[in-house]
Amino acid sequence: MARRRHRLACVLLSVTGVCLLHAASPRGGSVRFYSDDPQRREPETQDASNVQPWDIDLFWDLAENLFGSPGDKTSNVKARNVNTIDEVPDSNWFTNRILAQPLSIEEVVRGPVAGPGPAGTAWSVIGAKQAGFAPGFTMQDAKGETWFVSFDANGLPEAATGAILVANRIFWALGYWQVENHLVRIQPGALVIDDRATVVPPSGTRRAMKYSDLQDVLRRAHRSADGTYRAVAARAVPGRALGGFRYHGTRPDDPNDIVPHEHRRELRALKVFGAWTNLVDMKAGNTLDTLITENGKGVVRHYLQDVGSTFGTGATALREYDEGWEYLFEGDPIWKRLVSMGFYLQPWQTVKYVDNPAIGRFEGAVFDPVDWKPRVPTAAFLRARGDDTFWAARRVMAFGDDLIRAMAAEGKYRDEAAARLLGNVLIERRDAIGRTYLNAVNPVINARLAADGTLTFENAAVIAGVAAEPAGGYVIHWARFDNAAGVATAIGSPTATMDRRTTAPAPLPQTVDAIVKVQIAAVRPVESSWTVPVEVYFRRRGGGWTLVGVERLPQS
Amino acid sequence: MRTILYGVCLAVVLASPAHAQDTREAEWAAEQNRKAVESKPYEPGAAEKWFSTARRELLEQPSGFYPYFASVYSGGGFTLGAGYRQFSGDRTHSDVKGLYSLKGYKLLEASTDSWGHADGRLDLHGRFGWRDATQVAYYGLGIGDSSLESNFRMKQLYVGGDLQMRPFRFGVFGAGVTYEDYTLEDGTGSSPSIEQIFTVDTAPGLGENPKYVHTTLSAGMDWRPAAGYARRGGLYQITYHTFAESDDTYGFDRIDGEIVQHVPILRETWVVSLRGLVQTTLDDDDRVPFFLMPSLGSGSTLRAYPSSRFRDRHSLLLSGEFRWIPNRLGIDMAIFYDAGKVTPRWKDLSLDGLKSDVGVGVRFHTPLATVLRIELAKGSEGFNLVFAGSAAF
Repeated sequence: MARRRHRLACVLLSVTGVCLLHAASPRGGSVRFYSDDPQRREPETQDASNVQPWDIDLFWDLAENLFGSPGDKTSNVKARNVNTIDEVPDSNWFTNRILAQPLSIEEVVRGPVAGPGPAGTAWSVIGAKQAGFAPGFTMQDAKGETWFVSFDANGLPEAATGAILVANRIFWALGYWQVENHLVRIQPGALVIDDRATVVPPSGTRRAMKYSDLQDVLRRAHRSADGTYRAVAARAVPGRALGGFRYHGTRPDDPNDIVPHEHRRELRALKVFGAWTNLVDMKAGNTLDTLITENGKGVVRHYLQDVGSTFGTGATALREYDEGWEYLFEGDPIWKRLVSMGFYLQPWQTVKYVDNPAIGRFEGAVFDPVDWKPRVPTAAFLRARGDDTFWAARRVMAFGDDLIRAMAAEGKYRDEAAARLLGNVLIERRDAIGRTYLNAVNPVINARLAADGTLTFENAAVIAGVAAEPAGGYVIHWARFDNAAGVATAIGSPTATMDRRTTAPAPLPQTVDAIVKVQIAAVRPVESSWTVPVEVYFRRRGGGWTLVGVERLPQS
Repeated sequence: MRTILYGVCLAVVLASPAHAQDTREAEWAAEQNRKAVESKPYEPGAAEKWFSTARRELLEQPSGFYPYFASVYSGGGFTLGAGYRQFSGDRTHSDVKGLYSLKGYKLLEASTDSWGHADGRLDLHGRFGWRDATQVAYYGLGIGDSSLESNFRMKQLYVGGDLQMRPFRFGVFGAGVTYEDYTLEDGTGSSPSIEQIFTVDTAPGLGENPKYVHTTLSAGMDWRPAAGYARRGGLYQITYHTFAESDDTYGFDRIDGEIVQHVPILRETWVVSLRGLVQTTLDDDDRVPFFLMPSLGSGSTLRAYPSSRFRDRHSLLLSGEFRWIPNRLGIDMAIFYDAGKVTPRWKDLSLDGLKSDVGVGVRFHTPLATVLRIELAKGSEGFNLVFAGSAAF
């Protein structure tokens, strides 16, 4: 009996020990800031070589997003792939370019182009176009390199190709993986059909490609007066094609894909970038995953492959009037129009467009980025919070007028008015995005804490010229932050500033790795959202203070 | 003591969990490692599989069995069927299909369709089939009283072919030849069989079983986006029919002229759709069997009236719809007005004495086709509820 009691005591002691040590241990999982924060690159630690290609059914993709609500149902979830300073680390999804680094106009205009276009003039058609509705085919150039060729729709010269060329540069500068596009002239007589080329006709039985198949494609394309066809040739991206990605969930066989896509900031941010450029066709079929080898292991790279469904035209026709304004199926306006006999009118029914077929139905005067909608509800967009759209809006605002006009000129429109119109509308829409999203949250940015305790920061909305400084300036609360316990202890009294420069009210801790938490809120701003403080964290290192944390909105 | 030692060791081990991380990188690595253990290729769910299969069957139309939704003959009621399709070329397939309706109407047909020839400008079709419409209504000639309702059974054997050409952008031309063998029998419906009420004078051709070589020629302009569903564009078409009989007793010629015009208003917020249809037998001396006369009444003509409610040698139909579009991809609403008449003589084909109806309807459609049209129409003889799988016009 005594022996049994002894054993029981030992067990209890062990359990108690576990609990005590567990509580006292500085577990990595409980600290707010790790030693390697903020991350600059998203880790991909696993070999993804076993990822299998998949084919996401277009109609299922549409139906699931239109009539279901895929993805995490939790509301107000902060983007899960941002680092501790509220930025998106570089990854095989995204590369920080504009805003994060100086980019010249020449660099942006060059975009993803890394080499010359298709070599030679004797090009071999090796297959039909496999995705999208635009006329096109796959070919090999004189050096045997593979290119995906797409044309303007018959009757809409320069529209689809111009949109691809311009949007390609925009989305590259924004940070997305883009294919490399070149403007080419196709001379039908110079094309040969490769013996390996196959097509799938309506019968569904794959067979060798014939010249009549090529004629079928060219019949749908716009033919220039000289008998040639303007087209865009996209260089085949490196790696093995795996199919597209969804805007929700993760790829189940990619071990590195652990953040649900609806919680990836760069995908949420497409709500803003898509609104800017009118990228309405947000389907999985316009994306592409490829398996590449990086650092000796297989990883999946995620391309925003087809950004040609932008501005005011689609692959085969002008935009429908309601595109960008309503989902393909949206219960509320349907019901209201039904019972009102159509007299429930929406802006898209009366908005005016400049008549330019190369640009199509694209305008900036009535555009409201909050009301903009892609064709189908997109899970990542629906989860976007104010900090996501703010992050995106800053990037949009980083495109200056000159840069936008230079990109518009890359559409290589014969009619200068087309490029001018495109540039004007992009500028108008950019400004609307700035006014909307930079003011929707507290826009304090670029906080710096000098070694002597002087704090400086900037206001993104004021810099962008879309708001005035708050009438009462800013109030700053200072605190020492216990990284393990997650507890902040006030340091002195709050300080105030009118010029975004202030000094700590009391000596700051000087020990290495000490962390200071600073809360910055506006006083009597025009936008009430500015009164919600932005929390910034600085860690003491090397005799100075390093920014390690930014919290613009409360965590869910 | 040894037990205590083990307990302490256990406590230390458990308090230093393997999953605790010291760096952000390690935290990610642990999570990715966990997923690597569980990773597996994507497997579509049951709903996604079903959806993909349905889409393939309905839109891609591959070789194999398929459900078939069509009409055996006007007035047959709800109809279901199935078919088997076999491609023999890129754009050529042969079909065997059958339909059966609630009223016992039957259709068996073997066909071949080959389209997209001559740079996409020429379509060819061939048909061989048998139709049995067991209770086709007949109310007598003209626009008279409906109390004289009767019915007859019509069996039709047919074999023929036709072609459609689009030699230029909006031009549509067609030609066809069909051998049609009609056999008329007593109706199986609840109303009296036709011979109990009508005679050969009031139902020309009653008791005859004519056989025709039916030739058609048509020409027109069609700039609607699709014939099955349109909110803009128009159709202006004329069709010439020759029903040649071996002994020419009941041979006749007929011309159909049709105009359809869709007028979109405010970016297709509303659409005014108009239709005019005239069918006229060319020679007043020709004898036309009652069941091949122009007729009005059905879900696509005078919609408040039953199928073939009015028959005679000439017909005029005018329809107007005020449509509004709750959703451009799927739902149309309309209020409509139809007016028309049938007459024994061409000169009587005026706007006087038209039968008319009004109604309201909802249509569910794709960009190219009307899938379901439900309409409630009110005419001088009461209400009629229309269910149809095609556009009214």
